[in-house]
Amino acid sequence: MAAGKEALKAVLIDLSGTLHVEDTAIPGAVDALKRLRESHIPIKFVTNTTKESRRCLYERLVALGFELREDEIWSSLWAAQDLLRRRNLRPMLMVDDAALEDFTGLTDVKEEEQNAVVIGLAPNMFNYSHLNKAFRLLLTGAPLIAIHCGRYYKRSDGLALGPGPFVKGLEYASDCESEVVGKPSPAFFQSALGDINPAHAVMIGDDVRDDISGAQALGMRGFLVQTGKYRTGDESRISPGPAVVCSHFSEAVDILLKEYSVSGRDS
Amino acid sequence: MSALENSRVTGVLLDVSGVLKDGETAIPGSVEAIRKLREAGLTIRFLTNETQMTRRKLAASLIDLGFCLQERDIIPPCPALVTLLKRENMRPHLLVHPDILPEFDGIDKSNPNCVVVSDAADNFTYENLNEAFRVLINMEKPRLFSLGRGKYYSDNGGLTLDVGAFTAALEYAADIKAEVIGKPQPEFFMSVLRDMRVEPQEAVMIGDDIVGDVGGAQNCGLTGVLVRTGKYRSSDEKHPTVHPDAIVDDLAQGVDLILKSRK
Repeated sequence: MAAGKEALKAVLIDLSGTLHVEDTAIPGAVDALKRLRESHIPIKFVTNTTKESRRCLYERLVALGFELREDEIWSSLWAAQDLLRRRNLRPMLMVDDAALEDFTGLTDVKEEEQNAVVIGLAPNMFNYSHLNKAFRLLLTGAPLIAIHCGRYYKRSDGLALGPGPFVKGLEYASDCESEVVGKPSPAFFQSALGDINPAHAVMIGDDVRDDISGAQALGMRGFLVQTGKYRTGDESRISPGPAVVCSHFSEAVDILLKEYSVSGRDS
Repeated sequence: MSALENSRVTGVLLDVSGVLKDGETAIPGSVEAIRKLREAGLTIRFLTNETQMTRRKLAASLIDLGFCLQERDIIPPCPALVTLLKRENMRPHLLVHPDILPEFDGIDKSNPNCVVVSDAADNFTYENLNEAFRVLINMEKPRLFSLGRGKYYSDNGGLTLDVGAFTAALEYAADIKAEVIGKPQPEFFMSVLRDMRVEPQEAVMIGDDIVGDVGGAQNCGLTGVLVRTGKYRSSDEKHPTVHPDAIVDDLAQGVDLILKSRK
């Protein structure tokens, strides 16, 4: 394993299912994060959210005892606002009200000045008149940016349509292809890494497709943890399989520190 | 334009929205063009994917605009669907425009075993789409019928989402393929031609939808003519797969072309 391994420049860590499940930290995860920090390797926390702002995610993790900075969190919503700012886009935002605080300065673009469509989860905007506005913008060549393409999600009264169907409907009508900013899009992992070469980075997560397969497609090494949504046999569902499979986050950190400190001394 | 020369055109199929009218206004020259076709003795049918009003109401509105036609000349997809629903003992959950509900009067809609989606316009709310999705996801063998699957149409000069966008959304959500009734489905064209007693090679279709009208007609062996009115966009002339036999500025020019070809 150590042969050919590059120096470690960044660790990306999934949140839900990897560090915590709902309001409970995964056993050993708080201490493991402390141990990882002692290595001074840059860390980013990466997650797909359509609703929770960065501040909201930060406050939850702090309450669970994790030590982190708010700017270490890289969510799909945050990646969307980053993309908008980098490309100087003025969006029509179809996102949940709670998500708007991630888009400071981008929320009140006048209709005639909009030149991009962003779709998160916004059931109150998924109707004929708003979709028509989005459609007409797309016909002028505006990019269609999707926070993610989930088909449906579980609501208290049963299954409910996610953003995906509305993204696909708009793609069909306007003959365009959306840019998906969340996991597992390679662009998502690259934007979290910034200038760091993916070959020098590791992704730790519980979702074999969204976390591991997505990161490995970009050239990162994927560490699959067997917590959260992990189901027996998940590691054989992707090819190539995860670089490392470990029982939980704490073990992932131990393996990482051991592997890379050895390779560090060697080189 | 050469495709129309030396042809023996005996039947003409016309799209309605974007060809005869745009919104509630007749497209200039189109009333006169229909009169000329009739005077020349050609058999005419109006082949439309219109599902925002009943056939009766559509006929009345076109007659009001001055068009010379009868209700039976208009072929919308709804009657064909109703026939199919009855034949296959289908009990539909309807996601349609309230104005076409009367077309489904004789159909059992209890305990649905399929979903029908058409251009429901303002009825395309999140909750209505969600309800249709839940009916589909709870079926053992989900069936979704779509009345046409147009991408968009022109309504009073502005482009507006058509049923196809919502059909695509439901298909993706429930991971199924819809069954389309209406243009560009071949059976829709062929059954009209049978009724007209016109062979495909003797028929011309004129429409503003490059895929639904022109492509659909050409697939059945008809001549397909695209008009530069309605939802027409200049990019239609560079369509990757559909190449119209002729492109004309409007219906009036298309009709002149047909009449000239018969002399």
